[in-house]
Amino acid sequence: MNVLRWWSGLLVAFALLILLRIFLPLPFNNEIIIFSVYVIGCNFLLGRVGFISFGQPAYLAVGAYGTAFYLYYFGTNPYVGILIGILSGIVVSLIVGPLFVRLRSDYFALVNMALAVIIFFLMQKVLADITFGDNGLWFLTNVDSTPILDLTRPDQFYIFAFLAAFAVWAFYKYLDDSIFGACCLATKMNDDKVRFLGYNNFHIRLAAFVIANTTTALAGSLYAVYLGFVSPEMTSPARTADPVVVTILGGVGTLFGPIVGSVAYTGMKDLISKYFGNWELVIGILLVFIMLAGEKGIWGSLEPLIKRWVFRQREAEKPAAADAGVKSR
Amino acid sequence: MIDPQLLLSGVIFGLSMGSIFFLMAIGLSLCFGLMRIISLDQLLYYAIGAYLTYTVSLLVGNVWIGVLAGVLVSGLTAYLIERFVFLRIYARDITFSMITSFGILIGGIGVIKAIWGLVPRPVPVPIEAQLDIFGTEIPIYRLVVIVIALMVYGGIWLFLNKTIIGKAIRAGIEDVEHVEGLGINVYRLFTVTFVIAGAMSGLAGGLNAPLIMVDPNMGLEILAFVFMVVIIGGLGSIKGTFISAFLVGQVVSIGSLIYAPLAQMAPFAIMLLILLVKPTGLYGSTMMKR
Repeated sequence: MNVLRWWSGLLVAFALLILLRIFLPLPFNNEIIIFSVYVIGCNFLLGRVGFISFGQPAYLAVGAYGTAFYLYYFGTNPYVGILIGILSGIVVSLIVGPLFVRLRSDYFALVNMALAVIIFFLMQKVLADITFGDNGLWFLTNVDSTPILDLTRPDQFYIFAFLAAFAVWAFYKYLDDSIFGACCLATKMNDDKVRFLGYNNFHIRLAAFVIANTTTALAGSLYAVYLGFVSPEMTSPARTADPVVVTILGGVGTLFGPIVGSVAYTGMKDLISKYFGNWELVIGILLVFIMLAGEKGIWGSLEPLIKRWVFRQREAEKPAAADAGVKSR
Repeated sequence: MIDPQLLLSGVIFGLSMGSIFFLMAIGLSLCFGLMRIISLDQLLYYAIGAYLTYTVSLLVGNVWIGVLAGVLVSGLTAYLIERFVFLRIYARDITFSMITSFGILIGGIGVIKAIWGLVPRPVPVPIEAQLDIFGTEIPIYRLVVIVIALMVYGGIWLFLNKTIIGKAIRAGIEDVEHVEGLGINVYRLFTVTFVIAGAMSGLAGGLNAPLIMVDPNMGLEILAFVFMVVIIGGLGSIKGTFISAFLVGQVVSIGSLIYAPLAQMAPFAIMLLILLVKPTGLYGSTMMKR
């Protein structure tokens, strides 16, 4: 029964996304899917481990540049490129992780944000010989078309990104139910008690950090393959807050929050910049109001309503089922 | 080896840059120390100070009056934002203040873009004269900036140690609940501190305006350095902020003499080293609020 319930939730989510494919333009859908993969990692860090990460674009850029370097200089297969992007995400987060996860939440946020800015400078100025600075790397023509799921075609890329997002989502669902997920939540609540229970806080946090940032790196390499172009702009200081904003908008620590948040944020940004122009003003004011109103976000405030509705349906079915059971006996 | 004349001008350049960093970081540091908030909107008051300096100096013809107007307006903006936004989130977790203040920062940048547009604006240097030290030409304006930063440090030291409000603020940094228990209205202290922090950021923006181009994202450009200063010095410590600001200024300035692209990376390496040894920064408190 339990399995059935979360599969049904999953089916609803993806039926929604298929509906999006029919009713909304393709580039917008691709954007939403990649963005939700991007945000899931931040959501996990903020909602489960209690780390507020303003440095998520750093790992996005690491994944994107890992893929881009491979596709520009060495090879042509996009799948290998994505694998290399994920690997570089793992490597970088394993290098910086042990330094960062020892810090308190507030220091963590500041240091991570500084890392994003540093990677921006690194890609824009220091490594300008191989990254071509602000011009970015263009490798769209280098990407091979593969026999199954040709990633150079946006419609087939959509299916691939969809499957990848599905896998990531199911993985996080699994993590949330596992002992590891419970440990993460426990370190957020009271890390002394976790230590008394015999777990190693440092290892739990490091694992969560690496998992979340690898997901973000995957989003980065998806961006790289989809756009066929990478520039330092994706980690610029003005964009460091994007994933946090979307996480809060969607609802912290909920599974559907990132998806709802990305749809709302991307849609809003498109509409506002189309009709109004000055999207920063609107997003900023909106963020302040969301924070003043509460901390639940869109999905967080919708979830109880939906649950109550589903629950009422079940209540209506239950007595009938009980009666049937009595009669058959 | 580096030419000594180049080194001297490099040191002066680093000191003036450190002064700006100090004026910026003191706001963040004070706000964290007393109210336990991370107030990213200080970067907005910095931009407001710079833009007011630009506009008023264009109207009046005197940059110093512009700087003064910048300080006043950013202090006023800080007062209003504290009254209407921060008063409601002091009791909440520290991450809330961070996200809310980021919202204010982004929204404020939107307002600045709407008023002044996207084009970078130049501000004339108020003192054109150069000072000759051992055959090296030093712009006097940079020396004035350093002197102003030192005066601000002295003023804040006097304020915190010699006045009753300052003593209450210092006690509040140690333990807010005890101060409240003494019958002092801590929310008034919070307002005073926040306005001082905002005015200092405005002063930093106004003083830095003639040295750089004024553009809407100037706050985000200095963000990484201010963070490094605050982290290296330790959140909540004024002495630590003072020392680390000049340290970072020197590292950036002399690092750029040795190898230009290195300048932006070197402070980060230093920050990581210091955090490895002492995770709370040089003078940071080990107190932790949950």
